Amino acid sequence: MKETPSNPEQVVPILQIADFLLVPIQIDLDDKTVSRLQEQLLKEIERTRAKAVILDVRTVEIIDSYISYTLSETAAMARLMGCRTILCGIRPAVALTLAQMGIVLEELNIARDLEHALVLASSS
Amino acid sequence: MDTDKLETLLGNQAHEFDLAVRITKEEDIAVARQMAKQLAQEMGFSLADTTKIATAVSELARNIYRYAKQGRILLRKKNAGKSEPAIEIIAADRGPGIPDVDLVLTKGYTTYERSLGIGLSGVKRLMDSFAIYSEVGKGTVVVAEKRRRRF
Amino acid sequence: MRSLLEEVGEERVAEEIVSIASEVPDFPVVKVLQQALRISAKMRQEQEEALSQLRQTLSELATPIIRIWTDMLLVAMTGNIDSQRAQDIAERLLNRVSSTRAKVVIVDVTGVPMIDTMVGGFLIEMFNATRLLGAKVILTGIRPEVASTLVKLGVDFQMVSIARDLEDALRQGIAITMEEAQKRRQLALNLAKGGVGEGNEGNAF
Repeated sequence: MKETPSNPEQVVPILQIADFLLVPIQIDLDDKTVSRLQEQLLKEIERTRAKAVILDVRTVEIIDSYISYTLSETAAMARLMGCRTILCGIRPAVALTLAQMGIVLEELNIARDLEHALVLASSS
Repeated sequence: MDTDKLETLLGNQAHEFDLAVRITKEEDIAVARQMAKQLAQEMGFSLADTTKIATAVSELARNIYRYAKQGRILLRKKNAGKSEPAIEIIAADRGPGIPDVDLVLTKGYTTYERSLGIGLSGVKRLMDSFAIYSEVGKGTVVVAEKRRRRF
Repeated sequence: MRSLLEEVGEERVAEEIVSIASEVPDFPVVKVLQQALRISAKMRQEQEEALSQLRQTLSELATPIIRIWTDMLLVAMTGNIDSQRAQDIAERLLNRVSSTRAKVVIVDVTGVPMIDTMVGGFLIEMFNATRLLGAKVILTGIRPEVASTLVKLGVDFQMVSIARDLEDALRQGIAITMEEAQKRRQLALNLAKGGVGEGNEGNAF
């Protein structure tokens, strides 16, 4: 395993911008990491009472059905806490793979880039 | 007849393949997909197809880990005559086996709690050819192939 | 040797080598043949490379992707679509959408003679993939016989907007991009004021 974060609960850095949480995901999402990411996100949403969380997956090279499932599930949970989830920066190759498998990520708002994500996050 | 085929496939020797990954723990899923990605890249697959191959391997490796606890992912280059080269993926385990193969290929079907039920049907859609051999109590083997597209 | 192979062809060269060998006893047949084979293999490889480049150019010509407006791409699909071509079009489109950060993609299928389950399924995949990049798809050019086949096949394009013609598609596309531009201005204003979104009484970062 590459890097072990000092705090075992922290798998990714989470930045707060106004009412939004910005989460750059720059690690290989294996199964354990992806469920710890979910835990960390939900705690952070509760703590900051964020209105929206933006997941930036620009550097993620593989999103399979389990990662998709966990991301959708996280979005559904966040919604119940009054927070919307926006996924941004999906790579073309990943988008083609997901679409061919028949995965549509309906629970998530999809943005082109960070700017678009902020627009989606702030429009009610 | 299928039982013979299953036995043959389960008995595949690792040295007959370009890559063999033993799946025994969760981390091996990520290892398998990384190695598949590398092999596909070496073979000159497009980025999109490389991603499809790596994702398919990820699904197959996870299925092994979830349902059989352990098994193997075998990968090899195929270069059949004049046609474009292809990558062959074999996922083999001596796990519980699947009682109804058609059922598990139905999109949305799953016996696992945290799942979309899209794994195997997804792999089938991503690949050019796909076959599954399984017998309860003996094990399961998936054989899939993706051909490199011209240019 | 190369020009000889190019001019008279492999068969003639082989025949000649055999006939020379039968007349000249110490002619180095093996060496000459080896050399001829090497050159001919190289020639074949070059031909194949040229052919594959040609194929690529051809496929790009067959399905042009044009930027027709700010943040807007047009894909004009023509002819029969098989799975190889389908994957190629989808890959090229997605890369273009990503590199140009297009907000809207107009897909015109006027030139597609038939949309069967395979082509319909491929279009659905391409539309869903485009959505995953954060762009909107507007579909236009569905002729009556195609519409009738699609409904009978149960292919519905719920994930896209449909336009009557290219003009209508362009109008819809411009509306989408303008709406986003407006929202972006609003966001910038709010950020400048030190708060974001409604119900936020200026509490800073």
